[in-house]
Amino acid sequence: MLAIAALSVAVSAAGTALAAVLAIPGALWIAFGQSPLRRVLLALYTVGLGLPPVAVGLVVAFVLWRSGPLGVLDILYTPGAMIVAQTIVVLPLIGTLAVVALRGIDGTLPAQLAGLGLRARDRYALLAREVAPGLVAATLAGFGRAIAEVGAAQMTGGNIEGQTRVLTTATMLAVGRGEFGEAFGFVAVLIGLVAVASGIALALQARWA
Amino acid sequence: MGVVAHDLRVARGAFRLAVDELVADTSGLAILGPNGAGKTTLLQALAGLLPAQGKIERPARVATLFAVPALLRGSVAWNLAEPLCRLGLEDVQSRVDEALAAVGLAELAEHDVRRLSTGQRQRVGIARVLALRPAALLLDEPFANVDAESRPALRAAVRRAVTRDGSTVILATTNLADVAALCAQAVVLRVGTVTRTLATAALAGADDPYVRALLADR
Repeated sequence: MLAIAALSVAVSAAGTALAAVLAIPGALWIAFGQSPLRRVLLALYTVGLGLPPVAVGLVVAFVLWRSGPLGVLDILYTPGAMIVAQTIVVLPLIGTLAVVALRGIDGTLPAQLAGLGLRARDRYALLAREVAPGLVAATLAGFGRAIAEVGAAQMTGGNIEGQTRVLTTATMLAVGRGEFGEAFGFVAVLIGLVAVASGIALALQARWA
Repeated sequence: MGVVAHDLRVARGAFRLAVDELVADTSGLAILGPNGAGKTTLLQALAGLLPAQGKIERPARVATLFAVPALLRGSVAWNLAEPLCRLGLEDVQSRVDEALAAVGLAELAEHDVRRLSTGQRQRVGIARVLALRPAALLLDEPFANVDAESRPALRAAVRRAVTRDGSTVILATTNLADVAALCAQAVVLRVGTVTRTLATAALAGADDPYVRALLADR
């Protein structure tokens, strides 16, 4: 149980971190940039919100399949493949929530800080301080989605005991075998972890609000 | 030292601003003109905040106040002190106290800026640029959101600070009382160009239709 929960946290945290690193620069560009192409990226984020994890898992499994385009990597049915799939699943959520958070900030703030005579380094530092709470909240929401999804984890990890078995796939297997007590145990731990992530988000908001 | 612009050209989207010559000194310059004439664009170009062609001379220490000040998460006093600290200026505490007293916010120093009204935020914006004691102070409609009762006192506070520091004020406004209080010269902007440069004292007799409309509306 502990190993399964630890793998769940590790895989989802890695996928979420990767998704945040990829999604947040785009969100900053959408919120503060000038190019009309920003709308295209925002549309991609928004459409991506509705991507079923099972569809993402299918495509990632297909690409990583032994005879597939990236089959030479030989990472299907490893935590690496699960991280790739979860990154794709949560990237649009983090991107969209980050845009929403950033839009709450006055778009003229960078120019206004320059208008006070601040150097670029100080402007970026103050801007980062201003946007941090929203970006952290978006990332924690992404973690909640990553750790709770089952389709992508199952299809790219394969639910191999001791290697790619995470809380959601373990729950499905337990129910399939009629082991409801075990299944409830996994789900209780899962809910506990999601609650911890939400609690951190709420605590940070309370502190910053 | 004042602010001087020659052959200034600014493009902002489809809008074009063209000003052949503009001179502001410590007697203060007002930028008048109807909405959309380019007052804000001119002010921000003079501040160096917009890409512009032409020649602009300005002192090293310029502070610009936007029409709607963007404040940072934190207390009123912190919003004033943080830029001063980052600029490495001295006497931070006394500058903050003095600027807050000048705009009548001394009692709200430790308040969270998100709990302030629009007019109070405007005062924080004014205090934030006054605390910098800049050589040139560029103000965009600084008193527009402040209640009419407080405007004379705020104008006087800005006047005092500017006189003490020997700063050059450039003020974009649609309010003639602001001009009278802070500026000896005024330019009238119309769709992207300066149509007239006038002494403030001569505004009352000007034949410019926009100035006449302003006077009639008083």
